[in-house]
Amino acid sequence: AHDVKTVGRLGGGDRDGKMSEIKKKIQSILPGGDWNPLYDTSHLPPESSDVVIVGGGVLGLSVAYWLKKLEKPRGAIRVLVVERDHTYSRASTVLSVGGIRQQFSVPENVQLSLFSIDFLRNINEYLAVADDPPLDIQFNPSGYLLLASEKGAAIMENNVKVQRQEGAKVCLMSPEQLRNKFPWINTEGVALASYGMEHEGWFDPWCLLQGLRRKVQSMGVLFCRGEVTRFMSSSNLMKTASGEEVNLKRIHEVHVKIDQSLEYQPVECAIVINAAGAWSGQVAELAGIGKGPPGTLQGTKLPVELRKRYVYLWHCPQGPGLETPFVIDPSGTYFRREGLGHNYLGGCSPTEEEEPDPGNLEVDHDFFQDRVWPPLAQRVPAFETLKVRSAWAGYYDYNTFDQNGVVGPHPLVINMYFATGFSGHGLQQAPAVGRAVAEMVLEGHFQTINLSSFLFSRFYSGEKVQEHNII
Amino acid sequence: MLKIIIPTAMLMPMTWLSKPNMIWINSTTYSLLISLISLPYLNQLGDNSLNLSLLFFSDSLSAPLLVLTTWLLPLMLMASQSHLSKETLARKKLYITMLIILQLLLIMTFTATELIMFYILFEATLIPTLIIITRWGNQTERLNAGLYFLFYTLMGSLPLLVALLYIQNTTGTLNFLIIQYWAKPISATWSNIFLWLACMMAFMVKMPLYGLHLWLPKAHVEAPIAGSMVLAAVLLKLGGYGMMRITILLNPMTNQMAYPFMMLSLWGMVMTSSICLRQTDLKSLIAYSSVSHMALVIVAVLIQTPWSYMGATALMIAHGLTSSMLFCLANSNYERVHSRTMILARGLQTILPLMAAWWLLASLANLALPPTINLIGELFVVMASFSWSNMTIVLMGTNIIITALYTLYMLTTTQRGKYTHHIKNINPSFTRENALMALHLLPLLLLSLNPKIVLG
Repeated sequence: AHDVKTVGRLGGGDRDGKMSEIKKKIQSILPGGDWNPLYDTSHLPPESSDVVIVGGGVLGLSVAYWLKKLEKPRGAIRVLVVERDHTYSRASTVLSVGGIRQQFSVPENVQLSLFSIDFLRNINEYLAVADDPPLDIQFNPSGYLLLASEKGAAIMENNVKVQRQEGAKVCLMSPEQLRNKFPWINTEGVALASYGMEHEGWFDPWCLLQGLRRKVQSMGVLFCRGEVTRFMSSSNLMKTASGEEVNLKRIHEVHVKIDQSLEYQPVECAIVINAAGAWSGQVAELAGIGKGPPGTLQGTKLPVELRKRYVYLWHCPQGPGLETPFVIDPSGTYFRREGLGHNYLGGCSPTEEEEPDPGNLEVDHDFFQDRVWPPLAQRVPAFETLKVRSAWAGYYDYNTFDQNGVVGPHPLVINMYFATGFSGHGLQQAPAVGRAVAEMVLEGHFQTINLSSFLFSRFYSGEKVQEHNII
Repeated sequence: MLKIIIPTAMLMPMTWLSKPNMIWINSTTYSLLISLISLPYLNQLGDNSLNLSLLFFSDSLSAPLLVLTTWLLPLMLMASQSHLSKETLARKKLYITMLIILQLLLIMTFTATELIMFYILFEATLIPTLIIITRWGNQTERLNAGLYFLFYTLMGSLPLLVALLYIQNTTGTLNFLIIQYWAKPISATWSNIFLWLACMMAFMVKMPLYGLHLWLPKAHVEAPIAGSMVLAAVLLKLGGYGMMRITILLNPMTNQMAYPFMMLSLWGMVMTSSICLRQTDLKSLIAYSSVSHMALVIVAVLIQTPWSYMGATALMIAHGLTSSMLFCLANSNYERVHSRTMILARGLQTILPLMAAWWLLASLANLALPPTINLIGELFVVMASFSWSNMTIVLMGTNIIITALYTLYMLTTTQRGKYTHHIKNINPSFTRENALMALHLLPLLLLSLNPKIVLG
């Protein structure tokens, strides 16, 4: 009897596999399915797509969402999102600490964050999918607390003025007020503090990513698990109005290599959007951006590179309580509350000399001991007795030029649009940046938020859009 | 007729034996010469036909279609030069050979006397078209499209074979010249109903009739430019031509049997025009507009009055030229932007002004602007259907309005407005493209000076 059972199970298992294969074949032959008599191409991306978005993180998905939302006749544009890492194990989006603030010094940044928080607050109206449960991004509106020393106090006041002009609700606090409000802070060395009272805090980036992914798939965007290995482009030598000759390129095909195989599919496209995050620099080089004599527009590379940042999670039972905002110390160390069990997340941006090697995502625990813990313990005495629970590392898509995003088309490779380079504040500005890029693609100019100072041409003309940090 | 058939057949060895840099020049020039040879056939003598031999004849219905077919080959060759430039030499020659074979079969179809010969050639034209669509089409869906195209037409035309053999057995001949005098009125028995259906369904599918039109948008969108041109301009007219020939045998039953098809055509006309308003893909829009125009031809042929026949013929020629020109314009767009979506390539008037002029003229012809022959055709059909039944004028009027709407929508979306950033470096219009458009438009405009030629 046993032998019959095992044989039966083996035979049954094989039959099930064959059945599903036969079913798949029949389904593809029936009208409506895409049938290829030569070989099965269901795992390949389509042969042509109007827009190809390189990178499926929060920025890429946000651009896809807004492209499908803002197109005039519904279903006009075919969008393909190519993502190499389908578990998002190294993507910056999900490794992010998830904070959102309006306390920037560049007005456009404030506007971007203001729209993004509005998007996040109404996320279930924007990203609703029929028959699916609503999203809960677990937004903790606890605000950001930026501390400034004597030297930075004047800059901080200026920044707060700009932020208030744009509509952010920020208040300035003296050390006295700080001690009253947050008794666990040691205000030694703090001259001024700015506290965001509304629309600031932190949320769950994974939830936002999944919500966007779900919504975007329901709008008809195609996903492909693959890597972009080549751009086929055609170029034209044209003369500008001032008579100089420029070589304008247009990408007409993208070669997408399928994961773990040598197969690649050439995808014919009209527009390419570079939202590859920390790897955008490599994607830009594939398109030929930066191949030319340095100092010319042809030779200007996209200055986005990988930078590794550590995040540590620790437990401190005597630590600050529920009203703890996202605190940023003048030394550059930051921390925030995580959950309700006296856990905290925090880290520090290393200086240029101590930049860790971005080859892998290994965590350096000595960095915590030497660079993060001492300033933390000095600022919040309760943190002298903390216990590190875990740590992880993630990449910044670090813009070495001015640490602010690149948005909009490239002047020479005219159908490549950028949405990258946000150097650590990409997640919080993603919805607004997605809308801006979609407007640029569909209308030809920025309609709601004017991001013309974030265009690529500033790398050639040298106009930096730099944040005046108080650090 | 041999003076057209043999040169066309000899175009094939000429293509294969030409030097690599001369294939396009040779084939285009010689096919233009052949089209000039076919022009004298337009000089028809009144009601009778020009009987050239036992096998071939031409009368005032088939002569304009013949000239259209021969005129189209050089245009197809000019349009295909750019997308074939990257293929190997053998493939290029094969493509041109396919086009030439198709041309040959079409010439013989339009001038056939025996209905069986007509049928055989009618079916034979499917093969080169299928090869062109499935081998040189753009996307994976082309295999599906080719299948739909092939099997819809085959399913419709197999009964036609049976019907033709039956008629051969009963009347003893299928020679068209004889049959028009020997045709006896058929009574409305069940077997005659099936005979009527069998005869007409092949052409209904080819036209296409609204309920059986599913193959057309697919085939047009997936076909390369020459495939789209020949499909829109000539292959659809095969259906109209066949219907006009075969209705002579089927009187007087057509008066009753035609009702369902009239309803489908009248309704389908308005429906497909409305679908055009919602299309985002340029080629798909032009394909649906073809269905809408052909529905008018079906209505005209089924009414069977002299004026409706004149309108149908004029409309077929006019639509052939206009539709083919629109496809060429859409292709010139596609070759530059690599996308068929209309909203991604806007504001072309600023960048390519001459092409915008061609777009304007083609769109005006499409919406039946006086004094083009499009208008004459449509007007005759509207008048004939009004006399058949007063109510049809409502539907016809709605169709004319919606045609104007979607044509202008297509024009303003692609030409007007501010151009998008990513089309700044498109190539300017080639002389070849401008010549192509001019050669499409010239016959259309000249015919409006002397429409008598195309009014069968």
